[in-house]
Amino acid sequence: MYLFLCIVSFISVFPLYWMVSAATNKSAEVISGRLVPGTYFIENLKNLLATQNIGRALGNSFKYSLILTFVSLIVCSLAGYGFEIYHDKAKDAVMSIILLAMMVPFVATMIPLFQMVSKAGWLNTTIGFILPTISTPFLIMMFRQSARSFPHDIMEAARIDGLSELRIFFQMFMPTMKSTYAAAMTITFMNAWNSYLWPKVIMTDATSQTMPMVVANLTEGYVTDYGMLMLAVLICTLPTAIVFFCLQKSFAEGITGAVK
Amino acid sequence: MKRKILAALLASTMILSLVGCGGKDAAPTDNEAPAADVAAPADDTAPADDTSAPADDASAPAAEGGQTLTVWCWDPAFNLNAMYEAEKVYQKDHPDFKLNVVETPWDDIQTKITTAATSGDLSTLPDIFLMQDNAFQKNVISFPDVCADLTSSGIDFSQFAAGKTAYSVIDGKNYGVPFDNGAVVACYRTDYLEQAGLTIDDFTDITFDQYLENGKKVLEATGKPLISMQAGECDLIMMMMQSAGSSLFNEDGTANVVGNDTLKTVMETYKGLKDAGVLVEVNSWDEYVGSIVSGDVAGTINGCWIMASIQTAEDQSGNWAITNMPSLVGVSGATNYSNNGGSSWAVTTNCKDQALAADFLASTFAGSTELYDNILPSGALATWAPAGDSEAYGAPSDFFGGDAVSAKIVDFSTKVPSNITGVYYYEARNAVATAITNYINGGDIDTEMQTAADTINFNMGQ
Amino acid sequence: MSRSSNKLTLSKKHNLTGWAFLAPGAILILIMSFIPMIRALLLSFKSGVGAKMEWCGIMNYTRMFKDTVFIQSIKNTFFYLIIQVPIMLIFALILASVLNNKDLKFKGLFRTMIFLPCATSLVAYAIIFRSLFANNGLVNLVLVNLGILDQPYSFLTNTTSARIVIIIALLWRWTGYNMVFYLSGLQNIEYSIYEAAKIDGASAVQSFFRITVPLLKPTILLTAIMSTNGTLQLFDESVNLTNGGPANTSITMSHYIYDMSFKYVPNFGYSAAMSFLILILVAILAFLQMKVGDKRD
Repeated sequence: MYLFLCIVSFISVFPLYWMVSAATNKSAEVISGRLVPGTYFIENLKNLLATQNIGRALGNSFKYSLILTFVSLIVCSLAGYGFEIYHDKAKDAVMSIILLAMMVPFVATMIPLFQMVSKAGWLNTTIGFILPTISTPFLIMMFRQSARSFPHDIMEAARIDGLSELRIFFQMFMPTMKSTYAAAMTITFMNAWNSYLWPKVIMTDATSQTMPMVVANLTEGYVTDYGMLMLAVLICTLPTAIVFFCLQKSFAEGITGAVK
Repeated sequence: MKRKILAALLASTMILSLVGCGGKDAAPTDNEAPAADVAAPADDTAPADDTSAPADDASAPAAEGGQTLTVWCWDPAFNLNAMYEAEKVYQKDHPDFKLNVVETPWDDIQTKITTAATSGDLSTLPDIFLMQDNAFQKNVISFPDVCADLTSSGIDFSQFAAGKTAYSVIDGKNYGVPFDNGAVVACYRTDYLEQAGLTIDDFTDITFDQYLENGKKVLEATGKPLISMQAGECDLIMMMMQSAGSSLFNEDGTANVVGNDTLKTVMETYKGLKDAGVLVEVNSWDEYVGSIVSGDVAGTINGCWIMASIQTAEDQSGNWAITNMPSLVGVSGATNYSNNGGSSWAVTTNCKDQALAADFLASTFAGSTELYDNILPSGALATWAPAGDSEAYGAPSDFFGGDAVSAKIVDFSTKVPSNITGVYYYEARNAVATAITNYINGGDIDTEMQTAADTINFNMGQ
Repeated sequence: MSRSSNKLTLSKKHNLTGWAFLAPGAILILIMSFIPMIRALLLSFKSGVGAKMEWCGIMNYTRMFKDTVFIQSIKNTFFYLIIQVPIMLIFALILASVLNNKDLKFKGLFRTMIFLPCATSLVAYAIIFRSLFANNGLVNLVLVNLGILDQPYSFLTNTTSARIVIIIALLWRWTGYNMVFYLSGLQNIEYSIYEAAKIDGASAVQSFFRITVPLLKPTILLTAIMSTNGTLQLFDESVNLTNGGPANTSITMSHYIYDMSFKYVPNFGYSAAMSFLILILVAILAFLQMKVGDKRD
């Protein structure tokens, strides 16, 4: 079993290793397929800091992603909970309709969405960035599916004790579903962090550029500095990896059985 | 208590939805208005040489202070650098002048322009932006409200290479100030050629038949192909086409594919090179650059900007030389000169002070040898004729065997035949790429050309 | 009598509370997704270049069935869907149940490593995969040295292998992602059930099929719908790995729609119409999946 896991992990991690070693090599070496770490890391870092405002982009990306993740989790878990705990024919039908919202390619709805956001004066703002993806059918459905395993007898007991519905949600449901929240947080943060098409349309100022936009900047010149590019990509990848590593314990070894 | 929480929640929901509705309601109603507004300046733009510009349009949000222009372009080492140098040159006479340059990749500029123009809200556009030459016709025809007409803006277009200016001329009007040079150069590894008993002179002013013969010799002596090309992209095809002044479109905009003998010759020549192993296809741009800098090929043919990538292989300094490209055989109008890539500056109709933007471009990119001298070290070569006479252009390049490459390229660029880009350039290019891929894999050339023509015509029949 | 009326109001109240819970999310989706969608739907009945659009009836919808490239893209997309989605989900399930084992050491490390691919930035991942499968790339090097191939094979310029590379890339990138949902879903299954099964003499394989799969059904349904949706809207791999080539034999529907909107002379009416075809296809598949999988026991 360990052998199997090691092979799978190796395949998964190999490209990341490649990225790390590429970040320490010269451009020409990267492109000719050198796989061993080199000594050019400092140079790449200097070049990167000289041409791009990495600090600002990281700051923007963190700001947008964290706010979006926070708001999105609350709104979607409330909705998912509402759909499942109080389910009836009408709500199930609404759920099916809501699912339709994710089935149209974003390219098709982007221009009407842009009109709305631009008319509201939200270009280059956090609210413009987060608004279209605060509530997603995917997250709502995820919380709906997991609310299915929320034990009804606990709810009944809480109601008899006189707890309000909202308190049952915040005090009983949220802690019980810690693993779902952790998984949802990981995924939402990652999607927000990596989102590209929407920010590139609404972020027209240099001051509001995100990290993926900086990476795109680096690939567009006549000459691509691959060492520098890989370093930028590495910086862009690390936050999601760290978020995952910190949260994986919560979602995989939650507080199983604590309530049951 | 619980009621209060619920009430607060509901209230916040309603506020949220109201805010949202506000945005939504405004959109459809105002939608038509800005489009109409914008149409006006587009028609009677030409703000002459003086300040008759629509600056009194007080609702100007773009310009913070009258002397600041916003510019979108990509590539810090190249285009952004050029803009900053231009700012310095212009500031000498206009101390209040300032540029706000936003680094934006070309794909993003295209997406932003398409989105803004389609939604009828041009207020998000900058004052000046850089546009790929191949996309000029498409954008001006598709979004006639976006680019300002610069024909009588005081810029002397006659001083630019004719083949280059042609990209940004639509219906006889100039919409772009030509910038970087895309003249085609053929680059060779002289050390590899030597092993095959050849010199750079054996590759100068030759035809593709001679190129093939030489290529076989090099392959035999060194095991290296002469050239690598990205599969599925038809850069070389398009360069060959333009070298004979031919295009995939006719003057009237109809597709010129079936019965286009130049295209047929080009496809046959390409396949001949590939079959002989003189040309090798690679999968991606990275692999293409990789094959050059790691010495897997003995040369390449591309726009002169490729030289910047070649020079990242510092260990090969002195082993490279450039000359003109081979010419097609049996085609009327065949030359050894062509163009690939390059871009031009466009002024948007959102610019509140178009006279300032035009004057800025006229006194820098279309009027300052100093600017071109300053940006030469970054590899930016002029298509503006007076710049080529400057002493800086005669300086030898050690990397390319002590040759005065800059002057050479400027000379090449004046000899490039102009051709028709076509509004449907990218569609045609993709269709031809498909045809050539199938042809190389054993398809029948006439059938494939017919299919390509059908695809293009289908795309044009909206 | 009074009792039953009291009950009625209670369930009414219960019902209303439910609506209040889902209102913020539902309203946001209504504004941010459905209004743009309706406007896109209207657009799909218009035709024209750039911003000049005119009503054209259902022309855009009939047009796409004459569009050879689009038909090719539908075929390609379904090829990916049929092969990749089942393999990925099964593999993710297996990995999740292996990594859910309480006695396993370095669980966190293994989990993170298997998740990493989907955190990797698209740019890096595309460059890495292209270089791995390049003519002088690592894969060719290994295969030639092992004697499996005589000479390097051009993976990305041959139709079948190009498609397989895309599938491999998808598996590599998204298996760990789906594993996350299964892992979190597994936390809702009492571990004691497994122990009881073990005592009863059930093998690991048996408890996988008898316990894990049935109890994870809601999560499996979720991931199946998401993956179907994701694959039918597949874009990144087609653009970045093969650029749709060779000769459009690996291009996806979304890639073609994007080209039609931003690379070619923009025809948003036609793009919108093609997008709604995707909506219809995903909706049908999701409906079927929900029919099979979304039953409350």
